[in-house]
Amino acid sequence: MSLNTVKILRLTNNSSKVLNDVRATLQKGGLVIFPSDTVYGLLVDATNEKAVRKLIEFKNRPAGKAISVFVADFPMLKDVVQINKNIEERLRQLLPGPFTVILNSKHKTSKLLESEKGTLGVRLPDYERIQSLVKQFGKPVTATSANLSGHPPHYSVDALLKDLPEKKKTLIDLVVDAGKLSRNKPSTIIDLTTSKVRLIRRGDIVFSDAETLVSKSPSQTKKIAQYILRKVKVKSKKEKEALVFILQGELGVGKTIFVKGIGETLGITNIISPTFVVYYEYDMKDGKLVHVDLYNLQDEGEFEHLGLEKYLKPGNILCFEWGEKAGRIIGILHEKARVVYVKMRYIDEKKRELTIQTTE
Amino acid sequence: MRILAIETSCDETAAAVVEGRRVLSHAIYSQILIHKKWGGVVPSLAKRAHEERIDMVIDEALLRSRISTHNFLTPLEPPRDVRRPRAIREAQSRKKLASSILTSIDFVAVTYGPGLAIALEVGISKAKELARKHNKKLIAVNHMEGHIYANFAQNSKDKPKRELKFPSLVLLVSGGHTELVLWKGELEFEILGETVDDAAGEALDKAAKLLGLGYPGGPVIEQLANQVSFVDIYKFPRPMIGSKDLNFSFSGLKTSFYYFLKKKSQSEVNKNIKELASSFQEAVFDSLLTKLEKAMRETGVTRVVVGGGVISNQRLRALLRSLAKKHKGEVIFPPQKYLCTDNAAMIGVAASFKAKHGIFVKNFDKLDRIPRLRLG
Repeated sequence: MSLNTVKILRLTNNSSKVLNDVRATLQKGGLVIFPSDTVYGLLVDATNEKAVRKLIEFKNRPAGKAISVFVADFPMLKDVVQINKNIEERLRQLLPGPFTVILNSKHKTSKLLESEKGTLGVRLPDYERIQSLVKQFGKPVTATSANLSGHPPHYSVDALLKDLPEKKKTLIDLVVDAGKLSRNKPSTIIDLTTSKVRLIRRGDIVFSDAETLVSKSPSQTKKIAQYILRKVKVKSKKEKEALVFILQGELGVGKTIFVKGIGETLGITNIISPTFVVYYEYDMKDGKLVHVDLYNLQDEGEFEHLGLEKYLKPGNILCFEWGEKAGRIIGILHEKARVVYVKMRYIDEKKRELTIQTTE
Repeated sequence: MRILAIETSCDETAAAVVEGRRVLSHAIYSQILIHKKWGGVVPSLAKRAHEERIDMVIDEALLRSRISTHNFLTPLEPPRDVRRPRAIREAQSRKKLASSILTSIDFVAVTYGPGLAIALEVGISKAKELARKHNKKLIAVNHMEGHIYANFAQNSKDKPKRELKFPSLVLLVSGGHTELVLWKGELEFEILGETVDDAAGEALDKAAKLLGLGYPGGPVIEQLANQVSFVDIYKFPRPMIGSKDLNFSFSGLKTSFYYFLKKKSQSEVNKNIKELASSFQEAVFDSLLTKLEKAMRETGVTRVVVGGGVISNQRLRALLRSLAKKHKGEVIFPPQKYLCTDNAAMIGVAASFKAKHGIFVKNFDKLDRIPRLRLG
């Protein structure tokens, strides 16, 4: 019988003895299948590189794919990832709970568990068995489902073992069987790392001209946009350049409204937020209006895949929401276009201050 | 009638093989490769050239279609290390096999909008290339048609057996779209209302960001709202709820949420994070439901077909069910989770109806992407 090769402990009564066995196995760098708040999980000592390698071998996990860890409590969490007071306060409302929180790693756990950006996924589940086990063990353990990569996760030990080739079974040091787990959804992921996109800094640009206007409503914001467009369009036509608007300002301040205002003078009435697809392209009489939103841009490398440079032609108008994130391509924009900076600021819930700056 | 469908309207590279409404196979890049690092929940927003992955995804769909029809066993995982000679051999034989399966396909279908221009271009040019090379007819599909037809996709046993009934109302809600459509016939659509600014899913994502919950926000907001039983203690405004038309707007809600949070201390926000998330979610869903109900009253149509990523939200589903019940109507959800979000199976199913009506691309050179393509 193949099952004889795998040591299985039932988690009914006498759980402290079982937990002791699990702890000892983890300590020796062993691989343990253990119940969690979601599915059966694969536990190894997250600080033991050799044990983590064994886990990766077991899962057929492609290198570079990150693996989360279980922690016992907040002190342990703070020990493995970088966290500030504000984030801690927020997380205390959410954890323990069904979330995986992604933060910058302190590299105290094996590097193999991290993403290529050096982030680590951390779980503090609302599940007594994991909490007390990790607490007693005193170190974070891996939190990954006990299935091979590309296979569905398992809610019972029988189903799990049936799905495994014999060769894989030899890698398992201990199985803890808690019967059929209730079918909970997988944990929800919260990425709390910030994007690494270079912002436009003061000093990057020398302004020749600045104008400050106040808008009391969305329709006034549109009118201001149309006024600015008329003013700068004459110049850009003369110089045969594309026209670029860099829009900056908080969420909800009215950046899309501004672009809608520009669109309406050009006969485009169906402008909506391009956040999801990054940009939308609209046809005008003699050129294109490209409405870009850099809000979701996480990584500078993404610029190269947006193909925006090809739009920098005379007659085209490009509007960048979250234009401050255009730091990387700001040089190219200035080289090939007339650039107008629009800074929008809340005065109160209805009123906005718009500062328009142009360069020579 | 077998169709190879390709979908690259945004950040998913997807391909599928369908036979009428039956989905023989579907593949999405993020599922078959290492791309999504955190278990496929955080979408990568990198528009890393779909070009790099489209061939692999198409081959995968073709190979899987063979498995489902002939019980043929081929490796599901792509070769991991192409430097190894065996991996090269495997890759070559996969390529050959995929190419031979392609000859048994009748038509090639592709999404031509709405979406991101450069992403759409990749799918369209690949579809043209394959159709030319193998002498197949080409079918151009609107992404939104796909989301509607997702509800009528069937598995290999032709289940679920759902009838297309006309007219039906359609509510499409995702990170990029919010639309209310009157579906009048197999290929007849009329937009009744749509968002004038942000999409509903985008509003949820942005609220999560304002609460300091990272991206994507939809699932987190849902989880938190669930923990406080969907309370609505803050009663955020429901934009355009009183307007005469059936359009949606969420940017005003976003502004008032921003302003509300700004007036509170960080610590107050943190302490009430669940109630805030829940109240915001209720405001968004209430706006959707109010306009849907208005459309039901105005048209007298009570059969509702829904689609889009936000439809995975269990709270929204419950609200839609009770609205349908109130009007003695019915609501139809995509039969599987993958059919809610972007996929190519839905494009294939929609394409099969176009093929049935003999609607093909007449001149390949004239087929171009339309980033703001509308239904109807």
